[in-house]
Amino acid sequence: MASDGGAYSYSLTVFSPSGKLVQIEHALAAVAQGTTSLGIKATNGIVIATEKKSSSLLIDSSMLDKVAIICPNIGIVYSGMGPDFRVLVAKARKSAQAYWKIYGEYPPTKVLTREIATVMQEATQSGGVRPFGVSLLVAGWDITRGPTLYQVDPSGSFWAWKASAIGKNMVNAKTFLEKRYNDDISLEDAIHTALLTLKEGFEGQMTEKTIEIGVVTVPTPAELEASQVGAATGRPTPTFRILSEEEVRDYLAL
Amino acid sequence: MSIMELNGGSVIAMVGKDCVAIASDLRLGNQALSISSNFQKIFPVTDRIYIGLPGLASDVATLRERFRLRVNMYTIKEERELEPETFAHLVSSTLYEKRFSPYFVEPVVAGLSKLPTSTPESPKFKPFICGTDLIGCLNFAKDFIVCGTASEKLFGVAEGLWEPDLEPEDLFETISQTLLNAVDRDAFSGWGAVVHVLTPDKVITRTLRGRMD
Amino acid sequence: MEVQFGIVGKGYVIMASDTNAGRSIVKMKTDEDKIKALSPHLLMAASGEPGDTVQFSEFIERNLRLHHIRYTHPMRPQSAASWIRRALADSLRSRKPYSVNLLVGGYDASTDSPHLYWLDYLGTLVEVPFAAHGYGAYFCLSLLDRYHNPEANLEEGLETLKRCVREVQKRLIVGLPDWKIKVVDKDGVREINLDL
Repeated sequence: MASDGGAYSYSLTVFSPSGKLVQIEHALAAVAQGTTSLGIKATNGIVIATEKKSSSLLIDSSMLDKVAIICPNIGIVYSGMGPDFRVLVAKARKSAQAYWKIYGEYPPTKVLTREIATVMQEATQSGGVRPFGVSLLVAGWDITRGPTLYQVDPSGSFWAWKASAIGKNMVNAKTFLEKRYNDDISLEDAIHTALLTLKEGFEGQMTEKTIEIGVVTVPTPAELEASQVGAATGRPTPTFRILSEEEVRDYLAL
Repeated sequence: MSIMELNGGSVIAMVGKDCVAIASDLRLGNQALSISSNFQKIFPVTDRIYIGLPGLASDVATLRERFRLRVNMYTIKEERELEPETFAHLVSSTLYEKRFSPYFVEPVVAGLSKLPTSTPESPKFKPFICGTDLIGCLNFAKDFIVCGTASEKLFGVAEGLWEPDLEPEDLFETISQTLLNAVDRDAFSGWGAVVHVLTPDKVITRTLRGRMD
Repeated sequence: MEVQFGIVGKGYVIMASDTNAGRSIVKMKTDEDKIKALSPHLLMAASGEPGDTVQFSEFIERNLRLHHIRYTHPMRPQSAASWIRRALADSLRSRKPYSVNLLVGGYDASTDSPHLYWLDYLGTLVEVPFAAHGYGAYFCLSLLDRYHNPEANLEEGLETLKRCVREVQKRLIVGLPDWKIKVVDKDGVREINLDL
């Protein structure tokens, strides 16, 4: 059959008679086994957070990064397979730089998200590959749409969320978020809600070593003027950053 | 014979108070022989951006089509309006793509860019002009940009006539006089002119008669 | 030394071309038709490198014909001129560019208006009320500035053309005795025999 190659080595994603693509469903199952990640959009920013679990005490977890910066205004977090995430991060960063080379600015969150989603969709329709075993939360700020939070799935579909969770416990986490969320939540409150949500399904001790947080902030008009053409720096002010262990510890202490 | 001077033609752009102007002559020639007195070199990109393309007439048409395609794709894909700064970078990268067999055109971009503090209720705009060389090196000027076979003459007159914060009508007069008087001293530019003044609520376009000799 | 003219009048375009085909100093042929009918309402006069003119005109002719068959209607003059310009502009930056200069004249049946386009081998395209290629341009553009009238009827238009041809025959060092003249108007394309 497929193992001996030749005429029967079709793409693995072939429709089942019931109209399902089972490989994509398996990929979602892989995501559901991954550690929980969540994102909450606030009035003045976004928080994305994730649980960081290492299989051994001997692993230096400070070197483990689950939240990644794509470009100064966009960051992503994942649930699912780490190696697949790394590939997507590399492609997303390259795409953001290619965009910068053409337009002299970094892509809006929606454009970058669509770019990543396209890469993930291609893996469901090409021969010789398998779908990506990750779901992503993409958080970013841009001048047109302000702060926006997207979720991308292995199928390549993506949606904008006010708050969402992926990975293990995602159903419980989403129910929790639905109860806690309101439209005029501040970034500080959102960070605390994020921590509370993570705590719900957390196994073991929640410390600065076992969670990771990224935040999107909204730049002030003065910061925007400074990044414009002809201004002093002409460089964009970063609107996405990963919180340091000290900052996370401070939030946990509250 | 330089290929940049084969067809002749000049473009100028100027900044005013909350407005910009861009103007060009209308000649198309073949060295010293004039072929047409109605060859447009300035094209609208969006409601708030115009581009002037002085240089080889063949590349004027090719680039105009190329920019139209890339701007249309941008607007559809990104579901937002293009800003002049972004368009300027798009022009630059399009030209630099052909670094070793360039388009023989030195574009001039004029537009009004939306300020970060602008809202749909009270839109606020900042005048924007810029020029590039034929391989896309951007030049962001605060006063005026000149380009084409009459550029030296345009520099001279513009340096003398331009002043900051001109109102639309005064800016129209300044850019028109600058262009007409400069192209009269250039054998390869002239034969009438067209002027566009961009203001936040409208674009004023006027065709001028020049010396036809 | 080739000379070609195009003149727009009221509801028509006149295209005229010499009929010489030569190589260096030798005259090979004196009845070469350099004006091709591309579609029912479109004419194209080509001059330049002898092999290129024929090859390129046929390439254009066949492609416009294909368009006509595919879409069941012919291309309008403006679109045809634009398409031809693109073909020349692409060719210019290829390994071996066509060196062909063209005049494209047509009658747009959908707007009932005549159009004349001047194109050169670089891919320059401009719509004009009258045009010339070759040395005739140096003699006759000024003449046409003086005598061209966009409201002139066909007889008057042909009179203006005669002035141009006679000027070329009088002043150009090479005699061009024979000319082919074609007209395109609402009734389509036809050849005109004119006593020059």
